[in-house]
Amino acid sequence: MNGKRFLLWDLPTRLFHWLLVLAVIGAMVSGQLGGNLMVWHGRLGIFVVGLLAFRLVWGLVGSTYARFTQFFPLPARVGAYLRGEWRGEGHNPLGAFAVFAFFGLLTAQVASGLFSNDDIAFTGPLFSLVDKALSNRLTGLHHLLSNALIALVCLHVAAIVYYGRVKKQPLVKAMLTGWKDGASGESARGGGIVALVIALSVSFALAYGASGNWLPPPPAPPAASETPDW
Amino acid sequence: MKSKLLLALLTITLAGTAAAQLKPEDAIKFRQSGYSFMAWNMGRIKASVEGQFNKDEVIKSANAIQAIANSGMGALYPAGSDHGTGWEKTRVKPEFFTNKEGVAKVAMAFNKEANEMAKVAATGDAAAVKEQFGKLGASCKACHDDFKIKQ
Repeated sequence: MNGKRFLLWDLPTRLFHWLLVLAVIGAMVSGQLGGNLMVWHGRLGIFVVGLLAFRLVWGLVGSTYARFTQFFPLPARVGAYLRGEWRGEGHNPLGAFAVFAFFGLLTAQVASGLFSNDDIAFTGPLFSLVDKALSNRLTGLHHLLSNALIALVCLHVAAIVYYGRVKKQPLVKAMLTGWKDGASGESARGGGIVALVIALSVSFALAYGASGNWLPPPPAPPAASETPDW
Repeated sequence: MKSKLLLALLTITLAGTAAAQLKPEDAIKFRQSGYSFMAWNMGRIKASVEGQFNKDEVIKSANAIQAIANSGMGALYPAGSDHGTGWEKTRVKPEFFTNKEGVAKVAMAFNKEANEMAKVAATGDAAAVKEQFGKLGASCKACHDDFKIKQ
């Protein structure tokens, strides 16, 4: 410990990460238990849409290490990393694969969930936009992908344990505090208030789109006088 | 008199064989209709739970679900109905026909919750209806998880 440290993960990136952790755990538990928790499963799905949209924009306009161009797993970078010659900071080229895998998988997961149904009483917020057969297929995909997601989460956690125990890199600490010890890196720059407002705007817009609140409300139940006695 | 008796006997025999010889496609149609009708009624309870609570609607729907749950739908899974198409291709898993104990367990649990749903609906207690609606839905899910093919 030489006292030198630099800012690796800005606050929005860290908040995104931990909120996503909570939302995904909540969605997995509520989806497994079902019943009235399905209401929360749906809400969490919409929340994850917002989180993913935020991260997508933050990957373009956020601070240094949050940007996709900073860690995109180009073949040259991956090759260098595998030969032990990579000297960057932030997501290493292999970790970057995991980041994009999470991104793709979670996007497919929320997208399929929005149109899903459980043949009981739950329908995704955009269910009414597709026919039942397509909704059933998307529901099947949703179940299938949940297994892949669980596998990726396990791999992610195992990798963090490996880096902590074997390579002595406390990755969780940096994701919590934002700071990384060492003199080799420069503190993250960029991702100011304007970038934050843009990212949050896109995030809210997409979450609103996913919520289906813009859809015409279902027809009101017929008045008592219109309902036949039988 | 004798001929009337014979006719009655014949009718009973025919009816008996008809029930026993329910064609797999028909059995699949009947059971799909049952689940589909219950889904309509689940939706009506849900509308009451999430929006304006309507005691009459809830009672009607809960009673309908209870009636179907207690109608002996187990008879609609004759041998040979593990595959086939009713209104649509059946989504029952092969395990349904081999794991009789497992099926009985989830089916009985569903019946219990459906009976309870009707009981709670009669009280008109919105909070209790909501809670029981969740339990009923979870009992549907228990069977879907183990015995219904995910597409």
